[in-house]
Amino acid sequence: MSDFAIDATQLVKKFPARPGTGNKTESASAPRRRRWPFGKREPKAMFTAVNGVDLQIKRGEIFGLLGPNGAGKSTTIRMLCTLLEPTSGTAHVNGFDLVKQANDVRRSLGTLLAGERSIYWKLTGRENLEYFAALYHIPATVARQRVEELIERMELKDRANELVEKYSTGMRQRVAIAKALLARPPILLLDEPTLGLDPQAARRLRELIAELKQEGHTILLTTHYMEEADQLSDRIGIIDTGRIIALDTPEGLKQRIEQKEVIRLEVAGWHEEIADKLKSIAGIENLISRQQAEADVWEVNMQAHNSRAALPRIVEHISGNGTRLVNMNIVKPSLEDVFIHLTGKALRD
Amino acid sequence: MRSEMSVFSSLGKPGFLSEIQAFIAITRREWTIFRRYPSWIIALLIWPLIFPMMYILTGRALSGPDGSGLAVFTKTTGATDFIGYIVIGTTVWMWQNIVLWDVGFSLRNEQMRGTLESNWLSPTWRFSYLLGHTGPQIISMAMFVLITAVEFGLLFGVKLHGSIWLAALVMLASIPAVYGLGFAFASLVITLKEAHAFVFLVRGLVMIFCGITFPISLLPGWMQSVAAWLPQTYMIHGMRAAAFANASLTDLWPDLRALILFGAFWLTVGYLLFTWMERRARQTGAIGQY
Repeated sequence: MSDFAIDATQLVKKFPARPGTGNKTESASAPRRRRWPFGKREPKAMFTAVNGVDLQIKRGEIFGLLGPNGAGKSTTIRMLCTLLEPTSGTAHVNGFDLVKQANDVRRSLGTLLAGERSIYWKLTGRENLEYFAALYHIPATVARQRVEELIERMELKDRANELVEKYSTGMRQRVAIAKALLARPPILLLDEPTLGLDPQAARRLRELIAELKQEGHTILLTTHYMEEADQLSDRIGIIDTGRIIALDTPEGLKQRIEQKEVIRLEVAGWHEEIADKLKSIAGIENLISRQQAEADVWEVNMQAHNSRAALPRIVEHISGNGTRLVNMNIVKPSLEDVFIHLTGKALRD
Repeated sequence: MRSEMSVFSSLGKPGFLSEIQAFIAITRREWTIFRRYPSWIIALLIWPLIFPMMYILTGRALSGPDGSGLAVFTKTTGATDFIGYIVIGTTVWMWQNIVLWDVGFSLRNEQMRGTLESNWLSPTWRFSYLLGHTGPQIISMAMFVLITAVEFGLLFGVKLHGSIWLAALVMLASIPAVYGLGFAFASLVITLKEAHAFVFLVRGLVMIFCGITFPISLLPGWMQSVAAWLPQTYMIHGMRAAAFANASLTDLWPDLRALILFGAFWLTVGYLLFTWMERRARQTGAIGQY
């Protein structure tokens, strides 16, 4: 058996471009269709969502796949769980060919997509699990025992017979994860598992993911939360514009920009003209700003080769004109800074 | 959360029996969810009355104050009970209409709810998701027909002049054609995202061409030719003959044969369209798009 739970080579996925979406298109190498009845051919514009992804995920590891919105991570996951067929390239999941042995791939996977919406709200938690156990071809007697185990493990016992529509988001997410674990699959694909959960529920879910790794599951995780990826992942792949642009351990990724410092500012009355001025300072790069929940205060992050030299000019540009420096820190690069360094975007962009 | 001792052999056991078990689970799920929307009881009690009433009251008005016009109706149709005649036609129309909405939009509704992908992720044969919708639909439709018979028997004194079993046989023979068309619709709806125009078109065709309240012999020749290509024409004709004209199995055979052939055709078309849609969805990502 291969050492890799997931082994993908040069995966490509192209979609017909939809007009008005602003998706990048290409036509030169795209298939051409006939325009009836004149026999002329017009190029069919295509949008490349995934553009040659190579991915080798070892058995038993947690692999974090990070990327900004539209980078191709969901398309990659959807290909790996057989919902989408690759345009080209090959992939094996648990040793099974993604296209030719799709059913064996599905049997090898527990997938969490769309979280709480992936289960039936008009069924109880128990009914949901019994239903999906049948879809995964688990014999009825085994299924009953397995459902009870998972209800207990997910701490749903007291409310397992209530309709899911009465559950909290965290409880629904736990049912969805129990569904993914039903058939005891060796590989789990978890797409944004903690999205929308309160901090306590998210923490418990992260603990569960760590437990699942201890039990030997291979986990492919996508998340918008850098700290989560940093804390859980053995290795991280950063995907942007359909390609894996960096792949390493969290520490390895951080070392890539260790020689840089990160300047974090909080500024009141921020506007884009200041951003342009700061970007013009020598040694300043990857400036990202975002408004905080507190009105009119912006968090501004930038990377600097020599922060001491840059600071006086930063302060000079910010002071006056209705802007005010509220707070300033110079910190070590985090995984998010690595991400910004590589993609030029914040993860939530 | 309690730790789990696990060895990674999947608990799933593929095979024919497992597919049957999955099919039963889909059917049970549909039935359970159907029952949890209480409005179905009201719909089941009121709808059988409302739609035919429109035609029945029109018929009464046209027959004159003394009902003398009914003799003309009997002469034209050969039917003595014009209420029973209309109820059979409208029931078939409503059956096809409900199937187009229920089965035709079943996958689309799952897609909107967000559960289609989670079903699609399992190793179950995907056509089972459509077949599984059919069982509860047939049960609710059988209840609909039963309630129709009871309500019109009690309120309007409609009585059978034939065999209830032969009428049921015609209904049974109609199932593949009615649901095959529903399967074809379901595949189109998931591809086009909406198909209301098609539903209106099909039910309009049935209403005009199949003679739900009048004999198709009244139609111009070209319309009768169109009617001959619609299975609902044979359903209505066969059920009227079985329920109100004492027809024998031999009398019904031409209708039954046509329904079996239409059933084979529409089931094949439904399956092929589903297979095409399923493959196209894998290529275009249509399953995950709202």
